[in-house]
Amino acid sequence: MGRTLKFNIFRFNPEDTAAVPRMDTFYLEETDAMTLYIALNRIREEQDPALMFDFMCRAGICGSCAMMINGKPDLACHTKTKKLPSEITLMPMPVFKLIGDLSVDTGTWFRGMNEKVQSWVHTRKTFEPHAPEERMDNALADEIYELERCIECGCCVAACGKANMLPEGFMGATAFNRVARFMMDPRDERTNDQYFEVVGNEDGIFGCLGLLGCEDMCPKKIPLQDQLGVLRRKMGFSQVKHLFKAVMPGK
Amino acid sequence: MMADQTIARVEPVRTEAYLDFLQMLTGVGLVAFMWCHMILVASVNLDLGGGRVMNLIAYFFEATYMAQLGGPLIALTMVFHFVLAARKLPFRAREQKAMWRHTVNFNHTDTWLWIIQAVTAFIILIMGCIHMWTVLTDLPITAAKSAHRIQGGWWLLFYLFLLPMIELHVGIGIYRIGVKWGYIKRANRKVLHGFENKLTVIMIGIGLVTLFTFFFLVKAM
Amino acid sequence: MDTFYTDLLCVGAGLAGERVAVAAASAGFETICLSIVPPRRSHSSAAQGGMQASLGNCCKGEGDCPDVHFADTVKGSDWGCDQEVARLFAETAPVAVREMAFWGIPWNRVVPGKGIYYKAGKEYEKIEKREMEGMITARDFGGTAKWRTCYTSDGTGHTLLFTMDNEVVHLGVTVHDRVEVLSLIHDGQTCMGVVARCLKTGKLRVYLAKATLIATGGYGRIYRETTNCVINNGDGTIVTLDTGIVPFGNPEAVQFHPTGIVPTNILVTEGCRGDGGTLKDVNGERFMHIYEPGKQELASRDVVSRWMTHHMRLGKGVPSPYGPHLWLDIRHLGAHHIKTKLREVEEICNEFLDVDPITQMIPVRPAHHYSMGGVRTNKDGAAYGLKGLYAAGEAACWDMHGFNRLGGNSLAETIVAGRIVGEKISEFLQGYEVDFKTSIIQAEVKKQQEKINNLVSGKNGKENVYEIKAAMGDELMDRVAVFRTGAELQKAVDNLQVIYDRAKRIGLSSKPVGANPELSMALRMPGMVRLALCTAYGALMRTESRGAHAREDYPERNDRDWLKRTLAYWKSEDDTLPTLEYEKPSKVWELPPGERGYGSSKIICTEDPEICTPKPETN
Repeated sequence: MGRTLKFNIFRFNPEDTAAVPRMDTFYLEETDAMTLYIALNRIREEQDPALMFDFMCRAGICGSCAMMINGKPDLACHTKTKKLPSEITLMPMPVFKLIGDLSVDTGTWFRGMNEKVQSWVHTRKTFEPHAPEERMDNALADEIYELERCIECGCCVAACGKANMLPEGFMGATAFNRVARFMMDPRDERTNDQYFEVVGNEDGIFGCLGLLGCEDMCPKKIPLQDQLGVLRRKMGFSQVKHLFKAVMPGK
Repeated sequence: MMADQTIARVEPVRTEAYLDFLQMLTGVGLVAFMWCHMILVASVNLDLGGGRVMNLIAYFFEATYMAQLGGPLIALTMVFHFVLAARKLPFRAREQKAMWRHTVNFNHTDTWLWIIQAVTAFIILIMGCIHMWTVLTDLPITAAKSAHRIQGGWWLLFYLFLLPMIELHVGIGIYRIGVKWGYIKRANRKVLHGFENKLTVIMIGIGLVTLFTFFFLVKAM
Repeated sequence: MDTFYTDLLCVGAGLAGERVAVAAASAGFETICLSIVPPRRSHSSAAQGGMQASLGNCCKGEGDCPDVHFADTVKGSDWGCDQEVARLFAETAPVAVREMAFWGIPWNRVVPGKGIYYKAGKEYEKIEKREMEGMITARDFGGTAKWRTCYTSDGTGHTLLFTMDNEVVHLGVTVHDRVEVLSLIHDGQTCMGVVARCLKTGKLRVYLAKATLIATGGYGRIYRETTNCVINNGDGTIVTLDTGIVPFGNPEAVQFHPTGIVPTNILVTEGCRGDGGTLKDVNGERFMHIYEPGKQELASRDVVSRWMTHHMRLGKGVPSPYGPHLWLDIRHLGAHHIKTKLREVEEICNEFLDVDPITQMIPVRPAHHYSMGGVRTNKDGAAYGLKGLYAAGEAACWDMHGFNRLGGNSLAETIVAGRIVGEKISEFLQGYEVDFKTSIIQAEVKKQQEKINNLVSGKNGKENVYEIKAAMGDELMDRVAVFRTGAELQKAVDNLQVIYDRAKRIGLSSKPVGANPELSMALRMPGMVRLALCTAYGALMRTESRGAHAREDYPERNDRDWLKRTLAYWKSEDDTLPTLEYEKPSKVWELPPGERGYGSSKIICTEDPEICTPKPETN
């Protein structure tokens, strides 16, 4: 204990026409069990009330507070200062549109992603209010939940080389994970071709470079790598099969 | 609730799937070729630079016209693979800058690996073509001819540089194909990546020994 | 000025707001959701444990039905709830759960065969029936007669919210995220929409709507120690209270959750105790069985919180730099159970406490958790006083919770109330037209702009907003918490009035360009203090103990004088105290007041014949 922490924090307010991007330095005495949530709020309340950043649940569940902490994307709320060196550099996540300082517009991005992958159960059935629910194996429910755990924080996108290279367009691991989640859900009646229409292109799974920044940075430890691989294989091989059928009809 | 209207028959555009599949296929093919090529050339070490085994193998490939046909085919495959893979490269300055800044700030192993692969790709394309042109326009391949080139000095430097480029590209390439196509999973990534690293080191080692043999042991023409 | 027109405006896009939006959009009405954060970040996502619905699929839930759920809810509320609403709720909950399954929730399912479960630290065996395999299962929660809480591991709120937002995306409902509401536009009779501020640009906006829904959740941030997230400032409650027409129901009904972790007040789910976790004191000994031999750790939250506080007052708390606390012990549940069914708990302990719950005990103590009170509505969700104004979810006092909410009933309320209120709003909107009077709109915008200008210029003073917030939080935490007394409450009211005066003299210390966070807080601060005053004053006036409202000077539940709901009004801006009115909590008395079966409390019986005799259900 007793360290003095030096924070280098990115500052830019796009609404301020006179402002230019800069780095500001703040100093704080480290306290017991200090997290970046505590530190940033203290900086705002004691040193600079205009400092913009996002927190919501402050418990690692809502995904609001992802930022680049010494170069790596992570949730600020669950990052303990004692695991960091005494000089801490905080930057907003790349790829997403900057709102101000450390705050970025993940909301618009993820709404777009959810629209692109049509993130809902596609079914021809209608809901029968008084019929018992359809049965499902508990093991399958657990498997779906495993992928459903994504909190849309954006760390996988900020860590993605492809998304950094082409900020417009590339869907990112979060989208592939979502598609994989619906593919394993028997309630969703989409065919492989329909999923292919969504992710079978350069903005989708074939644009993935396999750099695994997503896998390594996901704060919820969702098995993204395995979804990427399986999705590419499913999408790729099904098309090759289709080609064979097309050139050798009758089989 | 209304029944979902979004379920409709669609005929997707499949081109990008085919191209990606071909990129993988040519990649695997070239990796296999490179490793075989290395082993075959390394046969010069078997009789400590005597060159008999290597000459025999070379003779076999030429007598069956595999070198004459296969050589250009490999060259074509390489160029094709380059074109396929280059679709993924940033060509605009803004994209290059963004990628470089990301790589440096993020400082993440697999991202660096990709940069290495991208850079080595260009080097291999140019130097590989020079190498193939030189060798294939001067058939037959013999240990003595190869030694002559290498002992000239400049070619030694050429190969000393090209060797790690190729092995890095090939080693990283096969690892990344495994990742991208789901054969390397979270559960085995660490082990297989370690294995791939070792393989690359071994291959570079074999290459160095072979170059050593050519430079010091093989009697030049 | 950006102006948006719509049929329905949902202020708040958590579970309740989005469920209403989905209902209205499905009925063909144009709907806009405003949300202070991207909708999937709403606090609904943090609810871990589950959602109550009497499906009765699992073996420990056999024989469950809406009647039992209704009775549990009414007892839980300490007869403070609206029984008509509680009945409606209990009947609809199973449908709502199945509907969510239809939309894609991966509810945990019944696994047939033998299984082990823990209760009060002891191991028991259960056998799930083969014929129920794959049906939606449930876990045990406090204050319930059956295992009734449907769940997806411990991310139930998360999966519900994501699935609900999937439907919002599917239906193409417009969501404007990062928008905060500043005031309602109304003419004293009809609500016409809101004045809001964009938190991307800092600019004011006008939303005009035929119907406006308040679904902004709780206002726990008025307390210093709360499990609520940082956006639970009660914006929606504030703007309705500010009308002077719409009452704030039961402000004194505030729930403390037994297991907030120390020191960060992050909640660990009731599922820990539901799955057999135990509470222990400084000696590592259990104590709940002494106070509550029947339900033990699984008595309702108000009761457990009181006994914990009581036990710590006896000096049995564990001393720490952050004050005394108790232990939550889930070690005996085993690594597998903790890593699958209580995974968020494990994560929270590891990441925020550096405690491994598999081998170590978790430091906990009661923390503010839930606001039973809120915008008072009728059973259709329509707010008292203004036509076209609705409320749902925690923001509303629809009043199925009365003076204490059962665990698992709040997620259920969001979905169920959302479903019901959404349908009612759709009926209301059918053929309804409203005149938007530009003079009223302009006047309201001007008023808000002036407020901002005054804060910026420091015309009214230079008080620091964060200091005021801290002072208010301390006041409530120290004097309006688990146990309350008249003297302390009076002090709290006096002090809060001083704080309120200061809150009117806030001035900014930073340059207010764009979405300045200090300005946001400063704009709502006087309103938050008004909510705090309603809470403290309501508690001071209620001279009895009911549910979560525990008066040490009036320990008995007084059905004779206090079987009524507080309605707090803030009639004039110059007032320094709310005006309190009261109404009967329920028109129907299907379950007449009686013993809860847990939480020892004397009862002064009512003599009202209308209440004492049970009546058949009326619809």
